[in-house]
Amino acid sequence: MVYHSSFVEEEGITKACGCPLLPLKSHIKGPAPVSEQDRTDIVDEAITFFRANVFFTNFPIKSPADKLLIYLTFYINVALKRLEGCRTLAVGTKAIINLGLEDIPVPGETGFPFPGLFSLPSSQEEADLFRNYLKQVREETSGRLLSVAYRANGTPNKWWLAFAKRKFINVVLL
Amino acid sequence: MDPTSRPAVVIDNGTGYTKMGFAGNVEPCFILSTVVAANESFLSQPKSSLKGSWAAQHNAGVAADMDFFIGDEALTKSRSSSTYNLHYPIEHGQVEDWDAMERYWQQCVFNYLRCDPEDHYFLLTESPLTPPESREYTGEILFETFNVPGLYIAVNSVLALAAGYTTSKCEMTGVVVDVGDGATRVVPVAEGYVIGSCIRTIPIAGKDVTLFIQQLMRERGENIPPEDSFDVARKVKEMYCYTCSDIVKEFNKHDKEPGKYIKQWKGVKPKTGAPYTCDVGYERFLGPEVFFNPEIYSNDFTTSLPAVIDKCIQSAPIDTRRALYKNIVLSGGSTMFKDFGRRLQRDLKKIVDARVLANNARTGGEITAQPVEVNVVSHPVQKFAVWFGGSVLSSTPEFFASCRTKEEYEECGASICRTNPVFKGMY
Repeated sequence: MVYHSSFVEEEGITKACGCPLLPLKSHIKGPAPVSEQDRTDIVDEAITFFRANVFFTNFPIKSPADKLLIYLTFYINVALKRLEGCRTLAVGTKAIINLGLEDIPVPGETGFPFPGLFSLPSSQEEADLFRNYLKQVREETSGRLLSVAYRANGTPNKWWLAFAKRKFINVVLL
Repeated sequence: MDPTSRPAVVIDNGTGYTKMGFAGNVEPCFILSTVVAANESFLSQPKSSLKGSWAAQHNAGVAADMDFFIGDEALTKSRSSSTYNLHYPIEHGQVEDWDAMERYWQQCVFNYLRCDPEDHYFLLTESPLTPPESREYTGEILFETFNVPGLYIAVNSVLALAAGYTTSKCEMTGVVVDVGDGATRVVPVAEGYVIGSCIRTIPIAGKDVTLFIQQLMRERGENIPPEDSFDVARKVKEMYCYTCSDIVKEFNKHDKEPGKYIKQWKGVKPKTGAPYTCDVGYERFLGPEVFFNPEIYSNDFTTSLPAVIDKCIQSAPIDTRRALYKNIVLSGGSTMFKDFGRRLQRDLKKIVDARVLANNARTGGEITAQPVEVNVVSHPVQKFAVWFGGSVLSSTPEFFASCRTKEEYEECGASICRTNPVFKGMY
């Protein structure tokens, strides 16, 4: 069975497209609320559970935070694929920055990997809010991913990069 | 000369491996693959040209039809020369090729065990739900060709239960979880008789764990020569795999102490002879995890082993269920992973306790059921538990009385082999 997120309670958290905008321990500017430095946030959870969850093809959803967990797990898979050919940390960072500069689709637009998982945005502001949140959370995930996917001396860590070949929920983004 | 004073011959024919030896021993004398390599160069000529077939038979040698090998010898011979064809007489637990099976037994008795079949009683095994005709054929072959004085054909699940006997208790009711190389079977046995309608088969077994490990090592890019990768994966599985309690915790343990958890595999390239090493990491615990989360390996089958055992027991008659939960016996090579029994017991107890709680809640807490005791029995001879059970049972004096003897066979014919009475042994 898959590992679910622990952010089950939804009091006081703004929602967009049916997904709670959970707090992050982030220095990057964006719409997410700031979390305390010693708590685990959703990005930590996504990275810790990634190596286990990526093997599964069915993911039963227990709370709306799970939707964000699914999205992040998928994003980590995509990021690892981009890192496949990069031999050093510098080349890898460049590839990830390129990934972050690409357009980020929101639910309802073509290119969003999980049609039907999130509800459609009701207004343009909600769509923009969600897009900015996704941008922030993706940047944060990339940063923390690079610190585990590459060893201290800059060479790739094969134990993480092996998971680039796995297909999470059999979804392949072109 | 009395055959009852000599130990019986115990042969357990499985789809992958055959275990053979003498009664009273703790382990089998030989464990061989169930494969026959026969020299069939003289059979290739068409029947019309008689002259051609005699010449071919002459070319093949004087006793070409006696020229066959079994087990590992068969595999090496077939790899080195092309005159030998491989035959696998047993598929999915049933004998399909009786000629090959007869040859196999011939080699077992005369070449490996080196005993005179007329001096020993024989105990053979079969899968549950085998048609009675196959017991008749087995009886025919053994009584006519080998001239054995007595024969007993036992169901392998009942023998696996017998392997768990101690001097104080011998339970003939229990569930046998037989995880072999080809398939996994969950067989409930009540009072020595198999409950045929409740048998469950799972398509995941030892070979699938090996394939999964091979896939993981290939994805990581370990440098193993491709023609050896299946063999290396199998040896890695047998040497380094263990069952964990939680995958994510295990990943973290590997990250914190790589020196303790990541092992090295040293091998030699077959073509060049150059040595190579590769790392063995996550597959150590992900391999056996396939039984508890089959989804990680393939989409065709997604029910975990504890859930299948639970469904099997729930479909058995209600008065046997508590006894079945109390005695779940493991057998087969793929149950040898460290802590496999403990993990199975923990997961099964979770399912059972959840159901008991739900039932209590449904009655509003007025009627509370007694907690169900779940017990998974592991013992050191799991790898050949069936053979060991056969050895134990055939060393009791009751065994000789329950066998079908040659006199009975000559009197009544092969049909007597269809029934083999269940006996408890001397306890």
